[in-house]
Amino acid sequence: MDTAVKAENLWKKFRIPHERRTTILENLAGLLQLLGGKTYTYEEFWALKSVSFHLGRGESLGVIGENGSGKSTLLKIIANILRPDKGSVTVHGRTAPILELGVGFHPDLTVKENILVYGSIMGLRNSEVKKRMDSILQFSGLERFRDAKLKNLSSGMQMRLGFSVAVEADPDIFLIDEALAVGDMEFQQKCIERFRQFKSEKKTIILVSHALNLVKEFCEKTLYLSKGEPVSLGETGAVIDEYVKRTQTPMMGGSTG
Amino acid sequence: MFEHGELVRNLTVKEFKLRYRNSALGFLWSLLNPLAMMVILTVVFSTLLRAGIEKFPVFLLTALLTWRFFSISTSMALWSIIGNSPLVTKVYFSRWLLVLSSNLANLIGSTLEFIALFPLLIFLGMKLSFSTILLPAILAVEFLLITGVSLPLAALNVYYRDISQIWDLALQAGFFLCPIIYDVKLIPEPYLFPYSLNPMTRIIQSVRKILYYNTLPTLTDFAVPLVGGLLLILAGYAVFHRLEPRFAEEL
Repeated sequence: MDTAVKAENLWKKFRIPHERRTTILENLAGLLQLLGGKTYTYEEFWALKSVSFHLGRGESLGVIGENGSGKSTLLKIIANILRPDKGSVTVHGRTAPILELGVGFHPDLTVKENILVYGSIMGLRNSEVKKRMDSILQFSGLERFRDAKLKNLSSGMQMRLGFSVAVEADPDIFLIDEALAVGDMEFQQKCIERFRQFKSEKKTIILVSHALNLVKEFCEKTLYLSKGEPVSLGETGAVIDEYVKRTQTPMMGGSTG
Repeated sequence: MFEHGELVRNLTVKEFKLRYRNSALGFLWSLLNPLAMMVILTVVFSTLLRAGIEKFPVFLLTALLTWRFFSISTSMALWSIIGNSPLVTKVYFSRWLLVLSSNLANLIGSTLEFIALFPLLIFLGMKLSFSTILLPAILAVEFLLITGVSLPLAALNVYYRDISQIWDLALQAGFFLCPIIYDVKLIPEPYLFPYSLNPMTRIIQSVRKILYYNTLPTLTDFAVPLVGGLLLILAGYAVFHRLEPRFAEEL
């Protein structure tokens, strides 16, 4: 099977400064403290530890886990927004990241202007974007607001627009991060319809979600992350069962022995 | 870069639109600002200080517009990554295109300012020489220089916001270190060589030679900023490329 996404031994580290430092002077002060024998003033925090998976074309991967388990970080690395500290990702095909709350629109541009800019970032030619403009607006249900500035739309509307542009950009790989959580029922239903269509078109989907029923429906494989570490990776049903079991039984320690 | 042609065009148009959106006078400000500067400086220098430069408004305005192109472009490009953080943190594309399109938007702006300058020149009794056709080439060289300076500034500003403060100071110093409100002839001989190594000095001199003195710039006037600009682009892109991977984390 052709490879769509291959992640090999991914590690990602973030720095959490103990005090916020953004100016050179503050950094100089920190440097002096460091030279004076003071220890590090930021914590290193591994958001991802040794994550690997292989996804063939047309396959879909669900990513589940508690908040802060590294799911979004993983998605951003696949989208090439963040770079891993160790390991590598190979992606075959165009990706469309649909991250939490919008895809990077500008609040002062109108809906149509945003679609044009975003479309060209997604690799569409202007003529193609114009051709698809109507169907983007129609799918998002924002025809009436085409000339409204984005900041005047609700967060749900912005999310709908982001989703619609990404869908119409016709990518090979969808990277979806809880994008459905904000939409209303009707829109969610429309999106699920689209997902089914993607599945039949052999598109690859990586879905980060707490909606386990969605993961169950669309993803053959699932990766369960906890504190950045892969707990299990495999057939969706089994992985979800394990996740549910783990989260429902709080850890007892050894006292009941 | 050429495969990104339409992306660059869309980003540039976006920059240009955003700059004048929510402003009643819009692009007019680009013309009013240098004119107001001209009036102020003319009053100070030819009326109060009696610097004795013939047609001082023209002498000044030619240099002022050239300097404005540099100072406004670089100080806006400084924020081009930070100002586009919604895009940078949500989707991948070559980040330096943001710097490029910010500069292109200013290139359009400055070109329009220069076009508006011509009726004024004629009104002030200047005659246009044939050398005017060299003006676009000089602005193109200035654009190279601007991009070379903007790339490292924009990247460094993501990590250290002090950069914008430092650059403000540098621009203030630059305003006096370049022949804008005075003539190069005022520079004493021993300092003339280092003074003339400044690429902006050469560019301003060239524009002034063309539009004010009606003479031709020398080959050195061209070569210094051209070589300087190309070297800066190479170095600037290297810095940018090194800092680029962690942009999304720092924003």
